[in-house]
Amino acid sequence: MNTNNNVYTVVYTTIIVVVVAAILAFVSQSLKAKQDANEKAETISQMLTSAGYGTKAELDRLGNSAKLDKYAEEIEEAFVINLNGERVSELEGITVYGPKDLKRQNYNIKGGANKTGEPEIPVFIFKNGRTVVPIYGAGLWGPIWGYISFNSDLSTIGGAYFDHESETAGLGAKIKDDPSFQAEFVGEKADFSSANVFDIVKGGSPKDGEGVSLIDNKIDAITGATMTSQGLDAAIDTWLAAYAKYFLGEKPACDKPCCGGEDKDEPCDGNCENHKEVED
Amino acid sequence: MEYLSLFVKSIFVDNMIFAYFLGMCSFLAVSKNVKTAAGLGLAVIFVLLVTLPINYLLNTYVLQPGALKWISPEMAGVDLSFLSFIVFIAVIAAIVQIVEMVVEKFSPELYSSLGIFLPLIAVNCAILGGSLFMQQKDFLNIGEATVYSLGSGLGWFLAIVSLAAIREKMSYSNVPAALKGLGITFITVGLMGIAFMTFMGISL
Amino acid sequence: MDAKLKETILNPIFKGNPITVLVLGICSSLAVTVTLKGALVMALSVIVVCGISSLILSLLRKTIPGRVRIIVQLVVVAMMVILVDQILKSFEATYAIDKQLSVYIGLIITNCIVMGRIEAFALGNKPWPSFLDGIANGAGYGLILIIVAFFRELLGSGTLFGFDILNRFGYVPNNLVILPPFALILLGCIVWVQRSIQKDLQEK
Repeated sequence: MNTNNNVYTVVYTTIIVVVVAAILAFVSQSLKAKQDANEKAETISQMLTSAGYGTKAELDRLGNSAKLDKYAEEIEEAFVINLNGERVSELEGITVYGPKDLKRQNYNIKGGANKTGEPEIPVFIFKNGRTVVPIYGAGLWGPIWGYISFNSDLSTIGGAYFDHESETAGLGAKIKDDPSFQAEFVGEKADFSSANVFDIVKGGSPKDGEGVSLIDNKIDAITGATMTSQGLDAAIDTWLAAYAKYFLGEKPACDKPCCGGEDKDEPCDGNCENHKEVED
Repeated sequence: MEYLSLFVKSIFVDNMIFAYFLGMCSFLAVSKNVKTAAGLGLAVIFVLLVTLPINYLLNTYVLQPGALKWISPEMAGVDLSFLSFIVFIAVIAAIVQIVEMVVEKFSPELYSSLGIFLPLIAVNCAILGGSLFMQQKDFLNIGEATVYSLGSGLGWFLAIVSLAAIREKMSYSNVPAALKGLGITFITVGLMGIAFMTFMGISL
Repeated sequence: MDAKLKETILNPIFKGNPITVLVLGICSSLAVTVTLKGALVMALSVIVVCGISSLILSLLRKTIPGRVRIIVQLVVVAMMVILVDQILKSFEATYAIDKQLSVYIGLIITNCIVMGRIEAFALGNKPWPSFLDGIANGAGYGLILIIVAFFRELLGSGTLFGFDILNRFGYVPNNLVILPPFALILLGCIVWVQRSIQKDLQEK
């Protein structure tokens, strides 16, 4: 048979491409439900890790359905807000935002050609008082995302868990695999009033004599993974800035008038301590 | 200005070889002399320059979630991104196949010196890497994607030609017999990589 | 087993090693050798993918039109890798394994060894020897990967498979070792050792 014949070449290529596309489409469609269920359970275990309900390994020992049960048991409130910090809708049942949903919202937050609608970003409040919000962005090779939890003062970070699609093992992948990197976030504060909400930089925050860091919203980048660290920094800044109005608005009201204002109910735009009573 | 900084950044700061270490196989194997190296470098520039904008269009209008909304609003929910790997690689393979046929026809000499590394451009990580980075970087328009592809290609060209020049000079040096050729090349590229890391701190 | 088959299996592991002699699969050997675990996962995946895709393409070899062979090869390899990924992703038991593996999907598809062996061997040989050739090349590749990863993890993080080895003795991990250029320098040293033993591989 002459395999160099034009007609044969065209027909052969067409058949191969059609067959391959059909197989992939069929497999992807028929397995989609199962994959989504696995992904949902994974997302839930990442959020629970961040909210302090055990380490990732402990949670992974539970099966998929046990993870969902645990979430249903521990969640206090879950809702969606817009960029002004206003509630748009409640999240009914067990609805979480996995990487695919986050990707769409990431486009909406950043605007541009890929925008599909107004940003609608989720807030999860757990029964232990922690508020969990997601972040999403680009690492070196592929997307990175994660969940950061805040204590009830809504500015101190209680925990964080990050995941990635294809960062380099041993370098960029440390954002997920290295518990000590995630532990660095605990106790830091996010500065919602500035555009640079959180910083991941080489060397981290300057330290005083006893090794206590002097700046609250700065931590050390991962050595050898400059691009991933920068990507994570940008992702956290973009997403936490999108939540800024919500977090500033939901601050517990001060018992003294802040910023010299008369209205006691007016929410503070930062820590009360920073605003000395002007009248006195 | 945007374009210019993207262009310079993709040549030096994000150099495919020395910053990401992509496309090493052919880089090491086809850098014995400057002439062949330049030939392969040009082929890589060409393939990147053609495939990246094509893949950009495919990604924007076909593959990414919601990309099909230009056909009808109901299609906005379709997500074909699971096909992106195979589509990118098929486009690349098709272009490489064309390049192979053109080189064979017009420069049989270059064709024989490139050997198996010409078809292997298809699996040159730099080319697929370019398309994947494009997906990652969310370029705003096809102009940015094209500038980026040209810069990355030029960066690769620059790297392979400079390595070939060093290797030509090195053939007169007294290298231990067992280290000659491939061994010393590995080490040279490692040192060049460390030198190129000085660009990494530059933000444009 | 006849001598020729034995040669097919043993040759790629040492004398015709894909990395140190054929210069294939360098990119991935730089990317995945920071930890031993990563190297092991990658090595196993490449052995499987290389073996099976050599087998399939060797079965198809008489029907593939010469002018589109690159597209056909890549589409088949990419399809297989994506299929395995999709299937592993769908079961609760294998989901965790897939999360480990999905990082390498792109690197496996663009690994020059897979396509290099298809081009150079599978398209001209019967299915059974092609299958063995694929497996053996994957193994030769894996061997080098594990050697490099051993040194990089030990010196770069002071650990092996994540367990502390050197740090408890006050070792300060050397950050240069985890950067890609050092992997190249290590590869250079491996080539040096190999060619000191096998003098016939030395270049003039």
